[in-house]
Amino acid sequence: MKRFFVLILALGFIFAGCAQRAVTTQPEQPASQETAQKAAAPETAKAEKKAESKETPTVTKAESEKVAVVSVKEAIEAKRSIGVFENIHFDFDKYYIRDDAKPTLTAVSAWLIKNKSSKMLLEGHCDEWGTNEYNLALGERRAKSTKDYIAASGVEKDRLDMISYGEERPLCKEHDKECWQKNRRVQFILKTQ
Amino acid sequence: MKTAASCQLSVVSKKRTRIFCASALLRFCTSALFFLFTFHFSLFTCEAKVYIDITSPAIKKLPIAIQEFSGQEGKNIADIIRDDLDFTGFFLCLDRAMYIESPTQAFNPKNWSAIGAEAVIKGTVSGEQSLTVMISLYDVIGDGEIFKKEYKGERTSIRQLAHIIANDIYKHITGENGIFKTKIAFVAEDEGRKGLYIMDWDGAAIKRLGIKGDFVLRPHWSRDGTKLVYSSERGGQWGIYLLDFMKMTEKKIFTSRGLNMAGSFSPDGGGIMLSSSRDETYGIYSLNISDSTLTRITSSRGIEVSPAISPDGKLVVFVSDRGGNPQIYLMDRKGYDVRRLTFEGSYNTSPSWSPDGKKIIFVGRQSGKNQVFTISPDGSELTQLTDTGNNEDPSFSPDGRFIIFSSDRDGDNGIYIMRSDGESQKRITPTWLRAFGPEWSPN
Repeated sequence: MKRFFVLILALGFIFAGCAQRAVTTQPEQPASQETAQKAAAPETAKAEKKAESKETPTVTKAESEKVAVVSVKEAIEAKRSIGVFENIHFDFDKYYIRDDAKPTLTAVSAWLIKNKSSKMLLEGHCDEWGTNEYNLALGERRAKSTKDYIAASGVEKDRLDMISYGEERPLCKEHDKECWQKNRRVQFILKTQ
Repeated sequence: MKTAASCQLSVVSKKRTRIFCASALLRFCTSALFFLFTFHFSLFTCEAKVYIDITSPAIKKLPIAIQEFSGQEGKNIADIIRDDLDFTGFFLCLDRAMYIESPTQAFNPKNWSAIGAEAVIKGTVSGEQSLTVMISLYDVIGDGEIFKKEYKGERTSIRQLAHIIANDIYKHITGENGIFKTKIAFVAEDEGRKGLYIMDWDGAAIKRLGIKGDFVLRPHWSRDGTKLVYSSERGGQWGIYLLDFMKMTEKKIFTSRGLNMAGSFSPDGGGIMLSSSRDETYGIYSLNISDSTLTRITSSRGIEVSPAISPDGKLVVFVSDRGGNPQIYLMDRKGYDVRRLTFEGSYNTSPSWSPDGKKIIFVGRQSGKNQVFTISPDGSELTQLTDTGNNEDPSFSPDGRFIIFSSDRDGDNGIYIMRSDGESQKRITPTWLRAFGPEWSPN
């Protein structure tokens, strides 16, 4: 488990450079280097605190300092925006959980059961085919199906938040079948505490 | 449910500037909406004789000559009036090159019957900044001068002035109220953000309303035309907001966990319909704006969205997937007597009413594309009005003769207008503006 978490963090750092979610993350980005440092400081402290706890997966102090040079803030942004679990996908106009999504959901559930202080945001998305309002509702139902599935395995519902963006935030912008499938998804966003 | 303090809004003139401009706000408040700048009085009234019966199924276009007016902005004002009348499809605007009579000559019916004109508009403009416009409308075949009126307005607002004149001429010729003063509220994309915009019905004078948030959904007008209600995502939550044009303020009127989307206003303006997943099941609700009372009307484990109240206030049309895919349903205001309206196709959404309540306009998917359809509330007379590209978010003009909608037929999404029979489809927003979700103001 320890190695798993480290891997997750490392992936987060790798992806940090391509987390181009400027639209949503901008308001939360500190305006100056000074505030960036301020924001980063408590996070380093938290990492140290986590290292002392036996229940939570830990990273060693040395490792966390090393990544802090890269920028803890970027790593957190990456975790928030890309998510540490793979997206799950849905059929056209549908919101039931497909069999190919179940391994990911099992992993998400297991992780949440182990990390009791963590919360997860489930983001529902759609392809560009539908009309706006219905698509938003469809995205929300996809997040809801996902929430129900995870909750059924023993995760408290209040640790699972949902939001729908409908067709507003496509991952893939080509107008083809492959893209539409990629966009019909739920994304898992770890909420920083 | 929370009610946040009102916040001041600003309006930005859409000439690629992003500066929130106080003078634009002032101009918008005082002129564009309420026409305080214009007072006009009739010197001469003539009792209603209808020159074109636009209610008749077979309309012969009325050949009309609109002379270039003399004076400051005279040509501009005459051109705007000509374009307004021309778009209705009820007029044949004769080319000025054909005219025998010069603008300075007195009206002589022989000069006009010779070129086939049946009605003539002549006008003079005087003044530099404050303009006085004198308009005369002549019936070539019968009565001579049938309408004469003086208008006053600022030079900066000549479009509004011209639209008001066009309304009066239209009313004298057809006996019906024109739509030339109306506005379109819509959503457009600006540097990745979606914001609320407003423009004249013909696509002129596009202005951005300075509201917060990255996403906003199609706005809905109050029936007196003084307010808009819309949903916006701010800080990870979908809330419903009310914009009051009289005060130029915005107020959050509803928020909860889940997805909250504004539907239409009630006829008295005191409440709105909305859809919300606040209880993790979807439902359609009515919200009393003044005391924030929320009444649940429907409940579904699936999806129920886009409620719109009929003009007489008795029925609600909405979208539900209770039958396995999105279809349009009708019910009464309390949620009883639910019946399915659409049976063609497997994806029918975005319904709204015609002003007389005799038609429902909606988006249906056909051959993989979204198209605009109308249907009667009894389920008969299903009519397809568009067939190119994807066409969404249709709504009727207040006189029911036109439809506004969004389309991607020319590449990027824009706002289009057409007659209620689907004729004369044309784009009214510029190609550089990605625009969606239009709704026509009621007045």
